[in-house]
Amino acid sequence: MKLSDLKQRTASEILAAFGRDGAAAKSAETLEKMGLPSKKTEAYRYGDIEAVLEMDLTIASEPKPAEILPSVQLIITDGVVTHAPASVKLGYSKAIPADQGHFDPLYHLGHVASPGVWEIEIQDEVYLHIIHRFTKPTSLIPYRLAVHVTPGSHAAVYEQFIDTGATGSLVLYGYDLFVGRDATLKMVKNQTLDSGSYQMVASHRCEVGSAATLDLATFDFGSASALQMMQIALGAHAHVEASHLLYASGSAKRGTVSKILHIGEGSTSNQQAKSILGEKARGIFDALIKVEHSARYTKAHQNSKAILLESGAYMASRPQLEIYIDELEASHGSTTGQLDGKQLFYLQSRGISAVEAKRMLIQAFANELIDAVDGEMIREILHRDFDEAFYGQTRVECIETCHGCEEVVLNEGV
Amino acid sequence: MSNMMEIKDLQAKIGDKKILNGLNLTLEKGKVHAIMGPNGAGKSTLSKAIVGHYDIEVLGGEILYRGENIVDKEPEERALDGIFLSFQHPVEVAGVNNAYFLRTAVNAKRRHEGKDELNAAEFLREMKKQVETLGMKPDMISRSLNEGFSGGEKKRNEILQMQMLQPDMIVLDEIDSGLDIDALRAVSEGINSMKDGERSFLVITHYSRILDYIKPDYIHVLKDGKIVHTGGPELVAQLEEEGYESLGEA
Repeated sequence: MKLSDLKQRTASEILAAFGRDGAAAKSAETLEKMGLPSKKTEAYRYGDIEAVLEMDLTIASEPKPAEILPSVQLIITDGVVTHAPASVKLGYSKAIPADQGHFDPLYHLGHVASPGVWEIEIQDEVYLHIIHRFTKPTSLIPYRLAVHVTPGSHAAVYEQFIDTGATGSLVLYGYDLFVGRDATLKMVKNQTLDSGSYQMVASHRCEVGSAATLDLATFDFGSASALQMMQIALGAHAHVEASHLLYASGSAKRGTVSKILHIGEGSTSNQQAKSILGEKARGIFDALIKVEHSARYTKAHQNSKAILLESGAYMASRPQLEIYIDELEASHGSTTGQLDGKQLFYLQSRGISAVEAKRMLIQAFANELIDAVDGEMIREILHRDFDEAFYGQTRVECIETCHGCEEVVLNEGV
Repeated sequence: MSNMMEIKDLQAKIGDKKILNGLNLTLEKGKVHAIMGPNGAGKSTLSKAIVGHYDIEVLGGEILYRGENIVDKEPEERALDGIFLSFQHPVEVAGVNNAYFLRTAVNAKRRHEGKDELNAAEFLREMKKQVETLGMKPDMISRSLNEGFSGGEKKRNEILQMQMLQPDMIVLDEIDSGLDIDALRAVSEGINSMKDGERSFLVITHYSRILDYIKPDYIHVLKDGKIVHTGGPELVAQLEEEGYESLGEA
């Protein structure tokens, strides 16, 4: 099928196209009202959505397995959970109540097209490593998670994406994330996606409860196109810290479209995007922070910085604030440019070649977000994956990141 | 050969403004040369021209370093050949680890000289020694390059780089600016420790204070893009007393 075949279809026809019953009827009705996205759709104007909708795909339809095997990681293969750790409570529902006010039509399509929703409950002190594997070529792989962080919990999730043969496929992934009152969730997404692999539109919804914190760091590398769409709603005194590092090359059109909604009083947000764009890549940071009437004493900050490595690269950066109250602190900014000439010269003046100096500065630009991630092991993986995407090989040395040797040397003779 | 560097009829501009107007200067091997001069005379432009800064367009003349004209050489080639500039305002580079940066530079030079590269542990041992000698905080090893450093820390870091890189021609552009007495003493000791009778130093300064610590062999006065007077260390006192206006054309 082609997703463009769903244009002008009624809700019941859309449901029928995916073999769904009435469980996802509301999402189908919302999709019918919104229509499929086109290049004129606000959220998709910088991507290449019409080409995505024209992909000729077979719907992947793996049944829910009879048994989910125990594992340290939660492993999802082509949208189906096959392995899960005992530390999380796992369920499966035909549908969950979706956010009918979500800005993204493909969020609603995801709820319709996914055969069900994997529900994950995370309790205190849990570290969950999710591996998403894709194996089917030229397939439409729709699936959704609902992640519930129980009130008062402090948990961490690390998402990793692996392609083992999903050439030409389209993955419609997304989660509905509920961070309970007073809970903290640190979430890291690490996705390298190169041309010749699958494409992905990930569409998320996050509800951050009262006095809860969501720390969301996304790392997107490679030469394939993909979009992450996210709508984040903040309750009273809730906080979201969102950072997005993008390295895109080739002809990739890749990035983040987000909407952060300050609903509760005293809620705070800080969103930071850094993009490194080579060849003819297009980076996207189209992000709105909306402060509702109810969200007095909000603090909202948003910033985008991009480096264009070649003349064919392009950054579509659009940080936006929409504010309905006076009692708040807010800022936003955006810079797009080349590497700093003074810094380059400084490194060269010490005998470092121009090529190496540029690499060091690009690495430095990326390091700011990578080094802010909790966990030495995850930081090492992110450094490695960035290096592999950027240099085509791993160049990380322990001196640069972990400082282990350094501590040994510094402590000698003390 | 007794000359480390000979600058002949150097003319250079920054943007549309011509700043060096036929500058001639000979720097002897193993000697300390100080350049003094009023604001806008071209002192920093001279230092930038020597290291190949991108701001500078050389319009004519030669910079002979060990007999070879380096005017068309890239900055990194000049550095690998042994020319070092201590910057007046060292830039901050967030995200580049100080040790990683310096090891990359040291190993680039070692490769250039046909020597084996230093591994991380060997390098860090040497760096730690120099850090202690300079009275730097140990955490400067692992911090980002110059990021958040005070003025004094940045200058000490310049000297640390100089000591690790062991250059032959050292240009110090207002190394004394922004230093308190203790920092000035530590930086000067670092510089003096590099004197070996072979290396040459070009000390660019506004004030005579640094020259109490780094004893110059020659004083050159730069005005309007030219060296207008050259003398011995005694010239410092004369300049202090009478100012630059007292000196005529060279």
